[in-house]
Amino acid sequence: MNSRQRLAIALDHKEPDHVPCDLGGTVLSGISHDLYGRLRAHLGLAAIEVRIADVVQQIAVVDDDVRDLFHVDVRDVAPRSSASFNIGIQDDMPGYTYFYDEWGIGWKMPKVGGFYYDMFHHPLKGDISTGDIDRYRWPDPADPARFHGLRERARHAAEVEGQGVVIGGLCAGIMEMVAWLRGFEDYYLDFAGNTKLLEHFLDKLVELKMAYWERALAEGGEYISAIVEADDMAGQNGMLISPRAYREIVKPRHKKLFDFIKARTRAKIFFHSCGAVRKVIPDLIEAGIDILNPVQVSAAGMDSAELKREYGADLTFWGGAVDPQNVLGSGSVQDVKDDARRRIDDLAPGGGFVFAPVHNIQSNVPPENVVAMWETLREHGTYNQ
Amino acid sequence: MSGTAIHENRASVNTILQQIYQGVLEGNRTAVRLKVQEAIQAGVPSAEILSSMTRSMERVGSLFEEGEYFVPEMLIAARAMQQGMEVLRPRLVDRDAKSSGSVIAGTVKGDLHEMGKNLVCMMLECAGFRVMDLGMDVAPEAFVQAVQDNRPEIVALSALLTTTMPQMKVTIDALREAGYRNGVRIIVGGAPLTEAYAQEIGADGYAKDASQAVTLVKRLLARA
Repeated sequence: MNSRQRLAIALDHKEPDHVPCDLGGTVLSGISHDLYGRLRAHLGLAAIEVRIADVVQQIAVVDDDVRDLFHVDVRDVAPRSSASFNIGIQDDMPGYTYFYDEWGIGWKMPKVGGFYYDMFHHPLKGDISTGDIDRYRWPDPADPARFHGLRERARHAAEVEGQGVVIGGLCAGIMEMVAWLRGFEDYYLDFAGNTKLLEHFLDKLVELKMAYWERALAEGGEYISAIVEADDMAGQNGMLISPRAYREIVKPRHKKLFDFIKARTRAKIFFHSCGAVRKVIPDLIEAGIDILNPVQVSAAGMDSAELKREYGADLTFWGGAVDPQNVLGSGSVQDVKDDARRRIDDLAPGGGFVFAPVHNIQSNVPPENVVAMWETLREHGTYNQ
Repeated sequence: MSGTAIHENRASVNTILQQIYQGVLEGNRTAVRLKVQEAIQAGVPSAEILSSMTRSMERVGSLFEEGEYFVPEMLIAARAMQQGMEVLRPRLVDRDAKSSGSVIAGTVKGDLHEMGKNLVCMMLECAGFRVMDLGMDVAPEAFVQAVQDNRPEIVALSALLTTTMPQMKVTIDALREAGYRNGVRIIVGGAPLTEAYAQEIGADGYAKDASQAVTLVKRLLARA
């Protein structure tokens, strides 16, 4: 059984030979570039120049030697930026390096002690009209440059390497993009009384995403195992917007987007949503998601056993492996092994589980704890055939 | 004025105060502004007007904790109270608006997230505290300097990341080394934080959300 088959069986809610796993198959299940360098040294692997998979999150491209050691089952065939876009990181801001992305959002990172790029410029902030949204210089979602080489990368991963193939989206989720382009305060205020503008904005993003997926799915075709969409809407203790607001304003638009995707591919829809999203999981299932990520087991109401019991028939859980806030960074190797074992016991039965970290592994995590995660998977991730 | 007229007058005052309370609760900025003006014209004491808004924000905090209100509802309520305060502030005499205490807040070094910290600042202001917001990515030396210059009762530290949480301890240690630790109460908050972590790094308190931060600050200052 190769990785591709293993993943397909798990995504069909059946038990393959072994729980499939992911590290670096998406930009939501990766590893900090700084930790990645230390992990390689810890594993006794050659010192190389670590490549960056995602500038904003400062995560590493996971190389084949690490993928082989960890038996990673999926490969990312991420699209690229449009031809007209060049990231051009600047350093003339006191204390920070910065850049503007292809959406016009400004990102900066402290030169000393910084971990990520965070937003400092929101181009559609303030008092704007629906016309301002229409007239905005949106990037071209179907620019052929984005898809250059994608089909060959997907074919190679699927047919030559026998890997599961994951394809990333155009940008963050539709709600997230409104938040990033408007700024968080305006975004939340839009939810409380400026819904006409908010809906217009969300519709625009759905339209851009559909144009992207039309092309991406045609390119990736039969090779794609899962496509990545996302939208964060919860915090540590609960939803940030009300479940009602999600249902009334956002869910119909998610459904429209997911229906569009499903009409064009048999690939599963991987949906990333951080935090305590329990209250809207039934809505997400109705909207059409197949896979939930990152399964933040440390957030309120996100106990892995309960989630599996309630939603395991409908959802594959991709993530959930090791509590990132209370164990992975601060616990001992044994703590990590115990927690990894617990998540496998909770989530693996019957398939529908891809072992992966809860979001990108952060730089405060000791390399031996990362190794302990995957050792536990090797030891306890086998299904009784 | 006859007894009946006084009675009617009090009833109409109560109605206006109730409308202010309701306006804040619903985040209706326009209504709050108008009703505060109306209350002032009707001769309602400023302290009573202020109190109706503060009580409403306390209710907003409870609704948030109970999972009835979310970030948008809390934000528009705070905005509505701010509108009311703009009208009311020139009328407030010291006795009405005695500050409940002063707070210096900031997101720690290396961390560029401030939505949560902003909500905490907003809720503290609505509860009558004087708040100085140092922003985000605030170095320990900057906290020390601000404490030296302003001598607040409370220092509030925020972090969203497991990777920046340790900067809270660095900041607390810096305040101790500078000799200011005993003069202030330090509170911490942010998604990855826990009560146990707060104790471990030597903070005086932890709150899991903006509403509980207000309760925490009140409790710490009552004890002080």
